Amino acid sequence: MNIQRSTSRTGLASASLAISLALVLSACGPDVTSPSEQPSTGAPEAGESAAPSTDPNMLQAPTEASPSGEITIWDRSGDLYEVFDGAIAAFNERYPDITVHHEAVDIDAKLQNTLITGADVPDGVFLDDAKVAGFADFLWNTADVLAPYADDIAQQKLDVNSSSGGIYGVPFDSNPGLLWYNATALESAGVDATTIQTYDDLLDAARAYQDAVPGSAPIHLEQSPFLGQLQLEMYASQLGTSIADADGNLRLDSPEYRQILGFLDTVNSEGLGTRAEYLSPSDIPELENGNQVFYPWAIWFSFAPQQLLTETLGDWRAMPLPAWNDGGARSGAMGGSSFVLPRDGANSELAWLFYEFLMFDPAGYAAVWGPNDIYPDGLNTSIPSYGPAADPQDALFAPVDALGGQDLWLVATDAAAEIPGSVPTPTWWAGAVDYLGNDLQRMFDGDLTPDEVISNSTSDIQVNLVDRK
Amino acid sequence: MASLTRFSSKRRIAPYVFVLPFVVLFLAFSVYPLIFTARLSFTNWRGSGAAQWVGWDNYQYLLTSSQFWSSLGNSGVLWLLIIPVQLVIALLAAVLLDNARLRARGFYRIAFIVPFVMPLVAVAQIWVVVFDTKYGAVNAVLNAFGIPDVGWLTTTTWSKPALALLFIWKTTGFIVIILLSGLQSIDASLYEAAELDGAGRLRRLWSVTVPLLRRTIMFAVVLQTLAVFQMFAEPFVVTQGGPYGSTTTAGYYLYNHITRADLGTGAANSFLLVIIVMALSLVFVRMLRPKD
Repeated sequence: MNIQRSTSRTGLASASLAISLALVLSACGPDVTSPSEQPSTGAPEAGESAAPSTDPNMLQAPTEASPSGEITIWDRSGDLYEVFDGAIAAFNERYPDITVHHEAVDIDAKLQNTLITGADVPDGVFLDDAKVAGFADFLWNTADVLAPYADDIAQQKLDVNSSSGGIYGVPFDSNPGLLWYNATALESAGVDATTIQTYDDLLDAARAYQDAVPGSAPIHLEQSPFLGQLQLEMYASQLGTSIADADGNLRLDSPEYRQILGFLDTVNSEGLGTRAEYLSPSDIPELENGNQVFYPWAIWFSFAPQQLLTETLGDWRAMPLPAWNDGGARSGAMGGSSFVLPRDGANSELAWLFYEFLMFDPAGYAAVWGPNDIYPDGLNTSIPSYGPAADPQDALFAPVDALGGQDLWLVATDAAAEIPGSVPTPTWWAGAVDYLGNDLQRMFDGDLTPDEVISNSTSDIQVNLVDRK
Repeated sequence: MASLTRFSSKRRIAPYVFVLPFVVLFLAFSVYPLIFTARLSFTNWRGSGAAQWVGWDNYQYLLTSSQFWSSLGNSGVLWLLIIPVQLVIALLAAVLLDNARLRARGFYRIAFIVPFVMPLVAVAQIWVVVFDTKYGAVNAVLNAFGIPDVGWLTTTTWSKPALALLFIWKTTGFIVIILLSGLQSIDASLYEAAELDGAGRLRRLWSVTVPLLRRTIMFAVVLQTLAVFQMFAEPFVVTQGGPYGSTTTAGYYLYNHITRADLGTGAANSFLLVIIVMALSLVFVRMLRPKD
């Protein structure tokens, strides 16, 4: 009896301890509000403008004559990391008392958790434009510090960095869409690519090339759902539209998207398209063997002729994209990145000085895009989004040997000037790939019509992403 | 007397003191995350500010979501493609390696274990190249036999078998080790007795080896079931969950919620997965437990 009483007392004590522990632990974590309360994020609400004098998230530039401190800057590993690393010396000539800890980080994998936990938060981060709005709650509003430069920054870059009345990134590059073409192959086939003004002209040129080179499929059709959606948005950008409007409302169901999808469907159904993932093992041979001679893509395709397309070295050229309508814009934005400044960074105001130097100071942007140890002829996979830096008459990078000595700077800066204004990228943009990106591929498979792509994607995105924001 | 009492109470407390470090770590890294996740699963939280209480909304969304059930279905199909095949291969390999007369046994053991220790991402990248539709080695071999190109990674029909093959190639060595250790615990006299009774090799395998390995096989099945339903890196690197979500496994679908900062739904998703995988594991344990 004593043993049983002792056992039941022990069990009761254990159960009580477990319940108490559960209650204590459950108190940890974020505050939970009821559905009627709006959770406060610190950022201005949709529709509100962030008044500089009242927005607690507005970054202010340092006022000291010689600011000092240490900053931690995150960049993705790769060539751009090396380029920015090389520019630190030039920055320190201007700001000798700021020490830059430059770290190569898998930003996509680490940033979200770092910002949520607030542990070891960097002062500045390189981030895809499409992701800036999603992290706005954690970032400084840079509208005030950007104000002196805003009139000269490409409107599209300001727009994609804007969210709820604030600007949450420092625009880095402009990525104008261009029409890359194999001039040698086209000339051999008797097709003059320079006469292409509209997408109808492009179709005609592709048909003529196919007649001359039977079995060819001249125009690239992207097979990756993510990049396919990105390319679709490039086409949409040309037409001054995008997947969602400034309020985050879907606008896929529009004449613009019907026109774009109609064009892509025509390319596919007439057998004029080579369907492959961007620069994949399936794509590169088709570029080298003359099967695929038109590649509507961002300026960063320039990497391919210089590094990958050894057999067609010197054959490729770039020109502005065709227009959707006579006299229409000859370029749209495809991708792009900016720099963001986390509010939890210890010295984010000093990190602003770093980015201000790189983007808006002649010595800075020359260090990035001009000749350097990494790129002796300059960085030519993007151009600055800051007007004075992207002067067509004052090239930062040299003509590209792999493009037959073409002045890519002139082509790209002229094209970028035609990109219409835009709106912030919705936070659910990447999630839309499961719907719109996949449906686009299904259209290429012949399973969906353009109208079905629009109706299916609209419905799925609305239910699964927009309504669950 | 007082010193005896003190000594006695120290002896009673001592075990608790010894397990305290484990308990602290267990509370911090297992219990707390579990409770945090449970609480999160009833909220809409994107990582900043207060979380909004939504009750069962996240669970309701998932249980009525075709994508959620599709991801479970994908994991289920992968399970069917992987586990039976892998068990047979691993068992035969373990029996082979257990044979004392096998020459170069060390070489075969290394050959089986090398894939397991190779970095998964590197192997997955090789898979992308080897199984490429137009220029991959696999289709080149098939073409040599007059078989047209197969869209291994680009069609919904073949993407799952291609991933299953990767998983089998990568992890069978580990299962071989598990089964081999079980084999080596079987008394050799049982085989002798069976041989004396006229049982051939296959008969001995089926009537002696397999029954006595039931517990080990059960362990391997439960382990691999967990691995299949948590499978993430393979579809992430090789197919990005495509084409058309056909290789979006339960683990990959969960990852999508988290990367899109839909943390409440992700938390609910993880709890549903725990329940489903636990239920499956209990089924297998019951089916495969020895009949003694």
